[in-house]
Amino acid sequence: MARRLKTIGFFLLFVGLGGFLFAWSGLYNVAASAGHWAITRWFLTFGMENSVETQSVGLKVPPLDDLAMIQRGASHYFGGCMSCHGAPGEARSVVAKQMLPAPPYLPDKVDEWRADELFWIVKHGLKYTGMPAWAAQERDDEVWSVVAFLARLPEIGPDEYRELTQGEQASGTETTAEQLQPFSLGDGSTDALVKCIRCHGSNGTGRGTGAFPRLAGQSAEYLYSALQDYALGLRPSGIMQPIAADLTEEEMRTLAAYYAGIEDAPSADPQLPADREVLRRGEAIATEGISDQGIPACANCHGPTTAPRNPRYPSLSGQYASYIAQQLRLWKQDARGNTEYSRIMAAAVRNLDEEDIEAVSLYYERLQTMAPDPEPNGPASGPTGE
Amino acid sequence: MFTGGALIFLLVIGLTVLTIILPQERRRWLAQQNVVIAGGIVFPVAVLSLLLGYGFFVTRGHVGAEEPTLRIEVIGEQWWWRVRYLDESGGVRFATANEIRVPAGEPVEFILKSADVIHSFWVPSLAGKLDMVPGKVNTYTFSADKPGVYRGQCAEYCGAQHALMAFYLVAMEPGSFDAWAAGQADPAWDRVAAELKYGRDLFIANGCGACHTVRGTPATGDLGPDLTHVGGRLSIGAGTLPTNIGTLAGWISSTQHVKPGVSMPSFGNLESRDLRAIAAYLESLE
Repeated sequence: MARRLKTIGFFLLFVGLGGFLFAWSGLYNVAASAGHWAITRWFLTFGMENSVETQSVGLKVPPLDDLAMIQRGASHYFGGCMSCHGAPGEARSVVAKQMLPAPPYLPDKVDEWRADELFWIVKHGLKYTGMPAWAAQERDDEVWSVVAFLARLPEIGPDEYRELTQGEQASGTETTAEQLQPFSLGDGSTDALVKCIRCHGSNGTGRGTGAFPRLAGQSAEYLYSALQDYALGLRPSGIMQPIAADLTEEEMRTLAAYYAGIEDAPSADPQLPADREVLRRGEAIATEGISDQGIPACANCHGPTTAPRNPRYPSLSGQYASYIAQQLRLWKQDARGNTEYSRIMAAAVRNLDEEDIEAVSLYYERLQTMAPDPEPNGPASGPTGE
Repeated sequence: MFTGGALIFLLVIGLTVLTIILPQERRRWLAQQNVVIAGGIVFPVAVLSLLLGYGFFVTRGHVGAEEPTLRIEVIGEQWWWRVRYLDESGGVRFATANEIRVPAGEPVEFILKSADVIHSFWVPSLAGKLDMVPGKVNTYTFSADKPGVYRGQCAEYCGAQHALMAFYLVAMEPGSFDAWAAGQADPAWDRVAAELKYGRDLFIANGCGACHTVRGTPATGDLGPDLTHVGGRLSIGAGTLPTNIGTLAGWISSTQHVKPGVSMPSFGNLESRDLRAIAAYLESLE
């Protein structure tokens, strides 16, 4: 018995040593151009598919039919995924097709996966393939928005794809030379602005759905610091971090000044219905706080107020409720980054519950944006024609 | 009282000595049933009952008999003391924090409450502890005989910064107390010096008013201490640091370093120039 064990031991040692010598010799060809044997490919795919299925067990899929989510996911897909995975009317890049394994053309392949499996793949990426993990692991909400788009992908055509991913630029109103004029001096800034416009619009109002926050009329200081925080990884976002990290400091300043300078952008219609009671609660939180629940007023920092405000504090009037609420939830989940400013806000958010968050977000969405000189008894905001 | 106690003591010791030195026949009477009942039950019951009655008689003055000349509401919060001076009708005359000034020699009623967990109000040099229990109001009347500064401390463990939940009780001559109280009821000084104005604007612009009140300015928050006259108090952070421009600046920029877990976030965003201006403004609020 002992002798047999000894023999087996020697045999295993011999095999291990042989494997090591084989790797050392460099005789194994790691060339992507060499491809895999059919059995190797089968085995790797078998392992990957089973791993994804097992690892994604227990994930709860949120509702995925929200247009804002789909737009947000689609727009990220356009910038981050399309070149490798293709899109309706768009082939995969020739370069990506030379990867091993080649990334699948998703419009044809995506329906082979369930939503929870897609979430897991987009969030964590896949080892031994070119599929990267999501840049901000804290942001499940962003990953789900990509999944929401992927769920629609098989059924949409090129026109709808353009609409979802490019907003105003899809509907024929190309960015005019006049709009780009402020950027013609800075190298590359035109490209940078085009990236912003795709989601936030040339007038900084987003797309009116709440998919993207409104930037028009924010202070340049705030917008610049937001870009810096994204670029430095201090504010987690798998969508904004890669975009901001590509910008030079000068581009950030130019872009921040551009959106800060837009003062006449139309207010969007409220996206979500709200009843009077909820709005009253939202107003109370925003303007006075609820002191016996330890909730400070928002308005001292975020307006509306006639007193001076630190320009690094964003103003919230007219901002989309869905955006405000999501940011507050991120703070509550400790996923809103770690800067001097975000830590201050973390203390303010501490005692808000989900109902408070919804109420105060709906209240701010309904406030008129940017009213430096409020007219006494002014008429309710009329229709804001295009 | 002392003589009675000494006599009983000598009696007990004497009897003990007798039981040791006397021969057995002569000390047998001590074990008789009547002697045991008389000395072990009747005598102590009679003496202790008399003393209890006497005790009630002596302490009758402490149990609310004295009419307080001043009523102060003190609310324990994690980890500081909200202090409200009440007027005759029970309304709030003015609010302050972490420092209680009283006229020396006059009985003061403290109305003790808690906003969150159990705290305990304790000024060791002046009176015993009394708990502050959520949902319950305890009252406690006592006076400080001599003018002076007495340190108070939370005496019931109330969370991470329980040890840094202190306050000062300042007993003043009645005349100067009245002048002080009148000053406290006034709004904050409207400062004219440029740096102080700058500091005040920064105080407002950075949102301090969402939690703090400085009467006479747009700052009307009610979550943290009223700062209308913070510059005139002995300490900041509930007895944590003495009040001066340096400690104020250090506190504002690094509360979480000085007193980790406290509700106020560190305002690490402030540039040193701005921080100094805000601290100078607060220090000027006497």
